[in-house]
Amino acid sequence: MREFDYHQPATLAEASRMLADFGDGARVIAGGTALVLALRQRMLSPAHLVSVADVEALRGIAWSEGSGLRIGALTSHSEVARSAIVQQRYPMLAAMASRIADSQIRNQGTIGGNLCYADPATDPPGCLMALDAQVVLASRRGERVLAVEDFLVDYYTTALEPDELLLELRLPSPAVGSDGRYARLLRTAADHRPLVNVAIGVHRQGSTCTEARIVVGASTPVPMRIPNAEARLVGHAVTRELAAEVAAIVAQDVVALSDQRGGEAYRRQMAQVVTRRTLEDLFGLDAE
Amino acid sequence: MSRHTIKVIVNGQAEELEVPAHRLLSELLRDDLHLIGTKRGCEAGICGACSVHVDGRVVKSCLMLAIHVDGCEVQTVEGLAQAGQLHPLQESFMTCGGLQCGYCTPGMLMTAKALLAENPHPTEAQVRQGLSGNLCRCTGYNGIVDAILEVAEARHGA
Repeated sequence: MREFDYHQPATLAEASRMLADFGDGARVIAGGTALVLALRQRMLSPAHLVSVADVEALRGIAWSEGSGLRIGALTSHSEVARSAIVQQRYPMLAAMASRIADSQIRNQGTIGGNLCYADPATDPPGCLMALDAQVVLASRRGERVLAVEDFLVDYYTTALEPDELLLELRLPSPAVGSDGRYARLLRTAADHRPLVNVAIGVHRQGSTCTEARIVVGASTPVPMRIPNAEARLVGHAVTRELAAEVAAIVAQDVVALSDQRGGEAYRRQMAQVVTRRTLEDLFGLDAE
Repeated sequence: MSRHTIKVIVNGQAEELEVPAHRLLSELLRDDLHLIGTKRGCEAGICGACSVHVDGRVVKSCLMLAIHVDGCEVQTVEGLAQAGQLHPLQESFMTCGGLQCGYCTPGMLMTAKALLAENPHPTEAQVRQGLSGNLCRCTGYNGIVDAILEVAEARHGA
């Protein structure tokens, strides 16, 4: 690891000013699970690390019926998974958080750090997109709110300005009839980086799907919604045939990447399988 | 390169150390405090041999900066035995054959302790899932899983 200066500002304004002063030479450190590894492997060698550990505004989980859920960016994955309100109101998010990597990484890594690092082969981003989550970005200049899908720009690239910090995530209150599932394919049971993941958020009346968000990630530079698949699902009672048809649309429309972990055709096929199984699970369609 | 003074309680003992900013927790424990029970394995956050507890939560010390434990309590495998008595998990790993070469054992013990603290009645599947961040290349895991389940059953009467 190359040497660096370490700073631990106490407030958001101070952190933002430091980031502005240091410019490209600085990185923000939260839980450090991804960043420390990148430093050790010399993929990154910043002159300054700015820790946000003391910035209280980045902590805590809060809920109200009117404004929905607020998760501070420094909340660890295990805190998200254990939160009673998350388990009760956003079971899809709690289930996702409880399966990220392993217990040690869930204790160290934070949900904000995960989003800012923008590693595509992780669990949270697609799941948050399917839940229609927003991020609040803050700097000395003020705050702005972006949808997660606008925040994630490309492979390891976000919309953060150099002096901005991710303050918190906001999730809308789930409406009556809303439900969702997050599922992924790991190449082996011991693997921690999904090859493909699928997150589906729906509203339904009876067996009819009235709204859908279908998000495919891990095989794409950033998670992508599949509008044609969403449109095919909406307005219908969901049967096994329809689930298979929607999954086929996903396989056709997903812009899958190709690398040593999996070729493009294989990733498309797996996106199809995971989508079909996830829809069957979500709509209680027992596989025969 | 900045240097920082940190205060940390390690296995019940208060320590005050000056460390460079890039010091890792695994280095602090092994190289500064000579607590060499904590092992360095992959050094990339995969194998779990360096697992220790920070404020009661299990973490990988190769992925954590030493400065980040300023003000915290750290427990390593050396802190498991109390007054010369091995921890029940340590006894159980011996009687169940939960180790062969022993390199992964300190990390396994720390993860197992955290697992049972969070879930005192785990199923076998939950134990296996809970160990997914710790690799063992000798035992095939069966002895390790047996050792953890045995402690859980002994505590709560199977």
